[in-house]
Amino acid sequence: MTHPATARFHVVLPTRSAAAPELPAFVTDVRPALTDPAGRSAVAADLAGLAGALVPFDPGGQESLAVAANVLRRTRHLRVVAGFHAAAATPVYAAKLSASLQRFAAGRLGWRLAVDLDPAAARAQGDFLTGPDRQARAGEFLTVAKGVWHDGPFDFKGDFYEVAAGGFGLPLSASPFPEVQLSGTSPEALALSRRHADVHVFAEGDDLDALVPELPGLRYGVHLTSLDHVLDHVAEYARRGVSEFFVPAEDVYHLGEHLKEQALAG
Amino acid sequence: MPVDIYWRIHMEGDQPSLRRRVRSRGGFAPGGTAPGTRDGRDDGYTHADYMAEVARAAEESGFVGGLLPNFPHTDDPWAAAATLARETTSYRFMVAFQPGFLHPVQAARMTATLQRATGGRIVYNVISGGGGPAQLWWGDKVDHDDRYARTSEFLDVLKGVWQGGHTHHGRFYQVEDAGLPEELAGQPFPEIFFSGSSPAAIDAAGRHADYYLSWLEPFEALAEKFDAVRAHSATPPRFAVRVDLLARESEEEAWEEIRQGWQARPRGGDSGGGSGGGDSVGVRRSRSFLAEAGDDPRALEVAPNVWGGFGQLRDGPAFGLVGDYHQVAERLDQFLDLGVDAFILAGIPHLEEARRVGRHVLPLLKGRTS
Repeated sequence: MTHPATARFHVVLPTRSAAAPELPAFVTDVRPALTDPAGRSAVAADLAGLAGALVPFDPGGQESLAVAANVLRRTRHLRVVAGFHAAAATPVYAAKLSASLQRFAAGRLGWRLAVDLDPAAARAQGDFLTGPDRQARAGEFLTVAKGVWHDGPFDFKGDFYEVAAGGFGLPLSASPFPEVQLSGTSPEALALSRRHADVHVFAEGDDLDALVPELPGLRYGVHLTSLDHVLDHVAEYARRGVSEFFVPAEDVYHLGEHLKEQALAG
Repeated sequence: MPVDIYWRIHMEGDQPSLRRRVRSRGGFAPGGTAPGTRDGRDDGYTHADYMAEVARAAEESGFVGGLLPNFPHTDDPWAAAATLARETTSYRFMVAFQPGFLHPVQAARMTATLQRATGGRIVYNVISGGGGPAQLWWGDKVDHDDRYARTSEFLDVLKGVWQGGHTHHGRFYQVEDAGLPEELAGQPFPEIFFSGSSPAAIDAAGRHADYYLSWLEPFEALAEKFDAVRAHSATPPRFAVRVDLLARESEEEAWEEIRQGWQARPRGGDSGGGSGGGDSVGVRRSRSFLAEAGDDPRALEVAPNVWGGFGQLRDGPAFGLVGDYHQVAERLDQFLDLGVDAFILAGIPHLEEARRVGRHVLPLLKGRTS
């Protein structure tokens, strides 16, 4: 039996710029171009006291690690998770870049590894790997990234990666490794989470009663697609042990002042 | 053609001076004064706060931007550029990276995101060398000469993705219908500064470089290198030189600074390129100039004001300029006459020296005489 968990809210930051509404022609219009949709929402989430933010991997939007760096710089408390896929960078380089972000932002960065990509979308990212190999590569990716994060020498020879005498020295190795969030419901995905995830994130409609017992010792999250009846849903998920709620970033102050307060009071 | 002058930004932590080889700024040495710790405890500042000050000092002092280098022990330049993108106005971020680290689609997406954030202020320093043990540290097992073939293919794919609708099945990379989404499309493609001293590097540079970037070497050696690049290039690139400066009001003052650092230097500490150098031809070239030198620091002055001992006093290449403000400015003018089109200057500490060089040296430059 899982105990109800305290609800922590994370906004899913926009990675695309919304078009500004047309103003009537007679109204003087000096509006600056909106190039930083994620940064504005993130500051709002930080001021509203929300726990975190996700910059999702979005092939149609801005790149998440670059956006996360800006978001971390603009906020003080918010935990910021960047979504990316394993073919984007070598695990050593992803870790190296992230070690600096951790140093610049007091350890607030997390990783959401996007493992199951639509095959055409993956090929457009230069990634032709399919099937369970994707989980196998993700497992090696995380093993190598975690392995080099500490003082070396770290040696690794796998199916996808090879490192010799690797390992960060101080001060790069002093920050915590990014919190790892994974998702998916296939046996391979669950096995990967058991091995590497700090948080397993479900979609609405996943059979949590069946899946949660397969993932002992992790924290659990869920993406809520709509804010309608959200408090009822939160209570229901919390009873199943879910503690991390990912919500759309519309009207972030409203989320902070109403939803978060009520959920905590409830 | 105007001359672009960059200022290096340290990614390895900064020293308070050349007199003491301690990287106390940026959290790289225990007990550093600023930023990061105070009275032994975290003080809420990070290396990014100090780097932001260096970037702002550089842009206020007449530099177009800065080179952000990358070694195993340093902070990461993509992370730094993305962190500081919106805190500067005119500063161009010259990001050093090796093509093996990132997939070209990822590089395109990161770059375009930062071009949007900065209004087009990203510049590339593409590095293919290094190598040796350090290359396996990075998890990269491609051989030295193959790395230049990879660099060429990487830049071809990157440019193709930038244009959109790109399909490529090559030796190192494949993509299918890759491009940038509407949110990221239409940004200017970054200028490319290309490093590498080997024949394979010079071949690759001919195809892709806007600028061929070299460390400072004695004049004749540099002229020789530029000739080799010109001979290998259908359209010769422009040339850039990375030069450390120690400039003071008087010549005596400048050399006294060197003497103090020389006496306090840790022995056997020449780092060549900052990370052991691996199979880098550039590092070997620099070392060969120093082989005959004795123990008097002035003995390493291989040409007037060209001093080869910087590698003993801080991380980084061997050669730099030492002299009074007028002498240093004259040497820089001589490089312009040699065919140099851009400089990456540096001095330690990067913050104060950016302001000093901007105030006292840059105004003395006369430009090309021929």
